[in-house]
Amino acid sequence: MAAYLLLVGVPVLGLLGILEAGRGIRAPLSVGGEWAVEAEGGPPRQLAWTISQSGPQATITLHDGTGTKLDARIDGATLTAGSPGGAVAARIAGRVEGRRMEGEITLPGCAPVAFHAVRQAAKKEGA
Amino acid sequence: MLDLFHLVLQIAVILVAARLVGFLFQKIHQPQVMGEMVAGILLGPSLLGWLAPGVSAALFPPASLSYLNALSQVGLVVFMFVVGLALNPSDLQGYGHAAVLTSHVSIAAPFCLGGLTALYLYPRLSDDGVTFTGFALFMGAAMSITAFPVLARILSERGLVRSRMGTLAIACAAVDDVTGWCILAYIVVLVRVTHAARPAWVTIAGSIAYVLIMLFVVRRMLPAFEREFRKRDHLSDNLVAVIVVLVLVSALATEWLGVHLLFGAFLMGAIMPKAPEFTRYLLHKFESVTVVLLLPLFFAYTGLRTRIGVGGGREIWFYSAIVIVVAITGKLGGSMYAARLAGMPWREAASLGILMNTRGLMELVILNIGLDIGVISPAMFAIMVLMALVTTFMTTPLLEWVYPARLFKAQMDHVHKNVA
Repeated sequence: MAAYLLLVGVPVLGLLGILEAGRGIRAPLSVGGEWAVEAEGGPPRQLAWTISQSGPQATITLHDGTGTKLDARIDGATLTAGSPGGAVAARIAGRVEGRRMEGEITLPGCAPVAFHAVRQAAKKEGA
Repeated sequence: MLDLFHLVLQIAVILVAARLVGFLFQKIHQPQVMGEMVAGILLGPSLLGWLAPGVSAALFPPASLSYLNALSQVGLVVFMFVVGLALNPSDLQGYGHAAVLTSHVSIAAPFCLGGLTALYLYPRLSDDGVTFTGFALFMGAAMSITAFPVLARILSERGLVRSRMGTLAIACAAVDDVTGWCILAYIVVLVRVTHAARPAWVTIAGSIAYVLIMLFVVRRMLPAFEREFRKRDHLSDNLVAVIVVLVLVSALATEWLGVHLLFGAFLMGAIMPKAPEFTRYLLHKFESVTVVLLLPLFFAYTGLRTRIGVGGGREIWFYSAIVIVVAITGKLGGSMYAARLAGMPWREAASLGILMNTRGLMELVILNIGLDIGVISPAMFAIMVLMALVTTFMTTPLLEWVYPARLFKAQMDHVHKNVA
């Protein structure tokens, strides 16, 4: 009985304490999911990207026909992304607020343009 | 539109890889399923996608993966039915103190340590779309699972099924499985009700009603199948089809309630009549297609979602090491210590801990659910898959080291001589 209380009761109480302590921990802002993007200025241009997030790190896959992937980092409400390895091919700098994001995107061979984006669905599937 | 050419090609490549790697793993005294799990990882971005991205993109274009996923999910539904079917409540009787203490500790200790690890990993590998409670409970559940089917296979291959340690391991793994799935069902409901359009009370009241109907109505009707089997020594194709439909309806009911398809399939298997010949007959009917064809597809789909060592930097390896150490300490250490306290000799207690540490395929099932409902991130998923592979891989060599087959055989011979 004493062994049961020690080996089962203590971990259960410990878990309750952990759940209570964890309430105060903040995780990075959620940005994962599908985003519909609209470039501002000039003729209206539609773009989309998918963000796969793991903590402050994320991968942005552009739905641009070639599936360009960018490494991204979330710092507070700011998202910055660039080509893996630092190669200057595409860059995104955005500010996230709820389901909306605003910022600037630079695509290969194009001048930087402002954009606004809306998250399409709740984050799901990490595939 | 369904691209049949791609799908059939994918299935063929996956089956060849699964059988080949499974065969190679058997050569190093690992269970076939371990090789199949590794084959799935090798076909994904962790190896094929890294070595030959062009080949990987041509073979597994993202648009084609939904069909592969659908097939693997059907396979999992049948597999979970088989797992439930193989679970026998009589396994749990007669082991008293040792089984109760060991099985409960083998859940509580890794669960608590998993929660503790969550305190460190939540801000590093999760996001504020997931509550800490959901993340920590999932980590705990994933750490405390035991792969009942893999464990049973290892015991059978080593001739340990009828040993005291073997029967105790099966009893504890059965308790762990049922408890683990109940906890996971709670977590899925907890996470899903936050986003679901359906009110929480519908899910909770519906789940209770569903379980009561299964236990007190459906279960009383199922012995009719067994009676029919006894009369004819087999079941007609129509009756087998009725069983399949019952499994699917049960799976659909839990999915509709917001729990998950797999819980319904598992419960249907668990409440089937448990007469050994009848169970063996059904296992034979359902197992071959599932194990040979559909499970390798699930492993491959899991592998395609797993990016071990791809991106994330050095810290991912550090987090992986933490998770693996915590998982082994909680499960192996907890079970071993509890078994020793319950009066088992050290060698048997350590062997029991090693067996309980086998996570195998059941871990992959749980992790895929976690990724699907968004409670773990892709990086956390990859780390946990790595942990599942390591803990499953280490079982056979560690068991051979702690409790060599020759020693067990000598002890059994001694027992038989004394009885004679």
